[in-house]
Amino acid sequence: MTGFFRQVADYTQNAISAGKYLLQGLAVTFDHMGRRPITVQYPYEKLIPSERYRGRIHYEFDKCIACEVCVRVCPINLPVVDWVMNKETKKKELRNYSIDFGVCIFCGNCVEYCPTNCLSMTEEYELASFDRHSLNFDNVALGRLPTSVTTDPSVKPLRELGYLPQGIMDPHEVPNKDPRAGKLPAEVLDWMKQESSKEGEIASISNTKEEVN
Amino acid sequence: MNIASSTEQICFLILGSVVILGALGVVLLKNIVYSAFLLGGVFMGVAGLYLLLNASFVAAAQVLVYVGAVNVLILFAIMLVNKKEELKQIKGLRTRKVLSGLVCTGLLFLLLRVDLTTNWNLPGPSAIGELSTERIGEHLFTDYLLPFEVASVLLLMAMIGAIVLARRDVLNTDIATGDSVDQNLIEKSNDPILLEQSSN
Amino acid sequence: MNTGLDLELSFNNLLQGFGISSEISHILWLPLPMLLVLSSALIGVLVTVWLERKVSAAAQQRIGPEYAGALGVLQPMADGLKLLVKEDVIPAKADGLLFTLGPILVLIPVILSWLIVPFGQNLLISNVGIGIFLWIALSSIQPIGLLMSGYASNNKYSLLGGLRAAAQSISYEIPLALSVLAVVMMSNSLSTIDIVNQQNSFGFLSWNIWRQPVGFVIFWICALAECERLPFDLPEAEEELVAGYQTEYAGMKFALFYLGSYINLVLSALLVSVLYLGGWGFPFPVEWIANLLGQNVDTPLVQVFTGSIGIVMTIIKTYLLVFLAILLRWTTPRVRIDQLLDLGWKFLLPISLVNLLFTAALKLAFPIAFGG
Ligand code: SF4
Ligand code: SF4
Repeated sequence: MTGFFRQVADYTQNAISAGKYLLQGLAVTFDHMGRRPITVQYPYEKLIPSERYRGRIHYEFDKCIACEVCVRVCPINLPVVDWVMNKETKKKELRNYSIDFGVCIFCGNCVEYCPTNCLSMTEEYELASFDRHSLNFDNVALGRLPTSVTTDPSVKPLRELGYLPQGIMDPHEVPNKDPRAGKLPAEVLDWMKQESSKEGEIASISNTKEEVN
Repeated sequence: MNIASSTEQICFLILGSVVILGALGVVLLKNIVYSAFLLGGVFMGVAGLYLLLNASFVAAAQVLVYVGAVNVLILFAIMLVNKKEELKQIKGLRTRKVLSGLVCTGLLFLLLRVDLTTNWNLPGPSAIGELSTERIGEHLFTDYLLPFEVASVLLLMAMIGAIVLARRDVLNTDIATGDSVDQNLIEKSNDPILLEQSSN
Repeated sequence: MNTGLDLELSFNNLLQGFGISSEISHILWLPLPMLLVLSSALIGVLVTVWLERKVSAAAQQRIGPEYAGALGVLQPMADGLKLLVKEDVIPAKADGLLFTLGPILVLIPVILSWLIVPFGQNLLISNVGIGIFLWIALSSIQPIGLLMSGYASNNKYSLLGGLRAAAQSISYEIPLALSVLAVVMMSNSLSTIDIVNQQNSFGFLSWNIWRQPVGFVIFWICALAECERLPFDLPEAEEELVAGYQTEYAGMKFALFYLGSYINLVLSALLVSVLYLGGWGFPFPVEWIANLLGQNVDTPLVQVFTGSIGIVMTIIKTYLLVFLAILLRWTTPRVRIDQLLDLGWKFLLPISLVNLLFTAALKLAFPIAFGG
C-alpha cells in the first residue's frame, strides 16, 4: 500500500515539475518577445560589412605581372591567367584574367600571396545571377568597384552589433559619426605599446606576439 | 398553414428522404467507405428528426454518440483494415438473399402494421422543450436506474475485455492451470529481459 | 436579474414602427445574427492570423508582416485573397466528391458552434438549453470530415494524418467533456448564459478558474489538442506527414481547413473565457460600479455601456488566451503519438474523473460556494 502511495506521490511530483518546466519555457519565450528584432529589411536596409569582409575579388589588370602565384596558391587553381610570351621583349604579355565566382570559396589565398597586390577582396556579396556562367568574371568585371553600402542613396546602412556605440542595441537611429564601442585594432596596438613601455619590458610584447601568432 | 408549420413540413420531408435514401445507399453501395460515410449522414438525419420533435438533448446525444463515436470507429476499422480481398462466391448466396429479404419484408410489415394501427393522436404530455434535459436526468436516476446501471456494467465489461485483449502479456499464463502458454504473440512480455539486464 | 440589451426586441419594435407585421419582421431578423456571427468569426480569424504572425515573429526576434497595411494588418486578407484565386486542384486519382465534402464537413460544425457563444446577456444567437453540450456534440463531427479528406486524397500521408486527427479528437473529447461537466454541475445548467451568470456575482473572485483550477488546465490542454495546435499538431506534423490530411489540398479547399482551424482556436478560447473566466463579466461587478457612480443599472445609457463592456471583456479574455496558445506554440516541442494518447487516456482522463467526483463532493459539502 505504501508503495502505491509513493508511486502516486512520485507521479504527482513529476507532473508538477513538468508544469514548472513548462512555465519556465513560457517565461523564456515571453522574454524573447521584448528583445530587439534582429531583422534587417534587405534590400532597403543593409548591414555594413566589416573591414576584413571577404567578398567578391577586385583585380587590377595593369598591376598584374602574370606570375600565376594566385593560381598556385588557390586551393582549386581557379584564376585563369591568359598570357603570351612576347619574344621580342622577352616578357609575358597578359591578355586576359578571370575568376569564376561560382567556384571560388573566397578563402583569400590569392589576395594574400599576390606579389603586386593587384588582387583585393571587396565588400560585395550580392552575386546572385540567373545563369551561373555569368558568375565567371573577366578582368573588366573584376576591375569594377562595388557600390559601397554607405554611399548608396537607396539603401539605409546599418552597423553590425560589434560596431555600435556603447550601450546601444538598435542600429537604426545611430548617426554616422558616433564612434564604435571599444578600441580599433590600431588603438589597441598603441595601448599595448604604452603598457609595455610603462613596464619597460619590450621583450614581453614580442613574446605575446609570438603567442598570438 | 403558417410559415412555421410549413417549414417544419419541408424540413421533415428533406430529413426523411435523407434518412431513407442514405439507408438504402448504406446497404446497396459497393464501396464500403461510402457506405460508412452515408451511415454518418443517416445518423445526422435522425438527429435532425429529433430536433424537429423538440428533443434537442436527444439530438445532440445522437450526434455525439452515433456520429462522433460509433461512426468514427466504424470508419477507423475500415481504414485500418484496408486490405484488398478476393471475395469468394458464397455457396447458396441466392437462397440467403431470399431469406434475408423475407425477414426484412416481414419486419417492414410489422412496423407498417404498428404504424397504421396505433392511434397517434393521443393527447400525450405537453412538450417541455428546454426542460427535457433535466427530465431525462431525473428519469435516468429514478425510474430507469436499474437499466442504466446494467448498461454501465455492460460497458464496463466490454472495456475490461478490450483491455485484456489489448494487453496480451496478461494472458502469458493459462488462467486455469497457471502454466505459461506460448501463444505466438507478436508482443512478448518484456519485463524479465529488462530485469536480468539491470541486475547484472 | 436585469436582462440587459435586447436587440431583437428593439429591432422588431423599430420595424413595426414602419408598419411591418411582427412575423415578417421576425423573418427579417433571422439572417442578421447569422451574418453577424459569420462576419465576427471571420474577423476573429483575420485578427488571430495577424496576431499569430506578429507574436511568432516577436518570439523569434523578427518583425513579421510589415508592409501590407499598417504593421501588416492586411496580411491575412492578402493570404485569403491569394488562396481564393489559386487554382483548385483535385488530384487525378482522388475521390472528387469526398475530397470536396471533407473541408466543408470540417468547417460547418465549427461555425455552427458559434451559435452558443455569448458576448453579453442577450448577445448570442440562440440560448439553447443544451448550450455547451451542443458544442461538444458538434465538435465530434469534425473527425469524420478529417477522415473523409484523408481518405479521399488517395495519399498515404493524408490518410495517416486523417486517422491521427480522428484518434486525437476522440480521445481528447472525453476529458474535455468531463471537465465541462464539472462546471455544468456547479451552475446547474448547460446554457452558456447561466454558466456566465453564475460566475459574475463577485467580480473576478467568483470566476470558475478559482473553483476549478484543475478543470481549467485540463480543458485548455484538451482544447489545444482538439484544435491541433502545437504541441498537439501531430495530424499535420511537417517532418513526418508533409502536411497530414491537408497535403493534397490547395486553393479554397485548403483555405477552408485553415479557416476551420483558426475559427476553432478562437472558439475554444471564447469558451474557456465563458466557462472559466467569467465570460462577459467585468473583473468588478458592473452593478457595484454603477452604484458607486450613482447610476441606475436599468437606464438605457448604462445598459449600452454594460453591453459594450461585456463585448470588450469577452474579446480581451479570448485574445489573451489566443496569445497564450501562440506562446505555447513556440515553447513546447511536439509530442509523439504514443505520448499524446498516454497523456489523454492515462493522465487527463483519470484526473478529470477525480476532478468531477471532487466537485460533486464539494457541491454537497459547500452548496453555497459550489452552486447548490
Ligand atoms: S579566393 Fe581562394 S578560391 Fe577564390 S580564387 Fe582566390 S585562392 Fe582561389
Ligand atoms: S598573383 Fe597577382 S600578379 Fe600574379 S598572376 Fe595572380 S593576380 Fe597577377
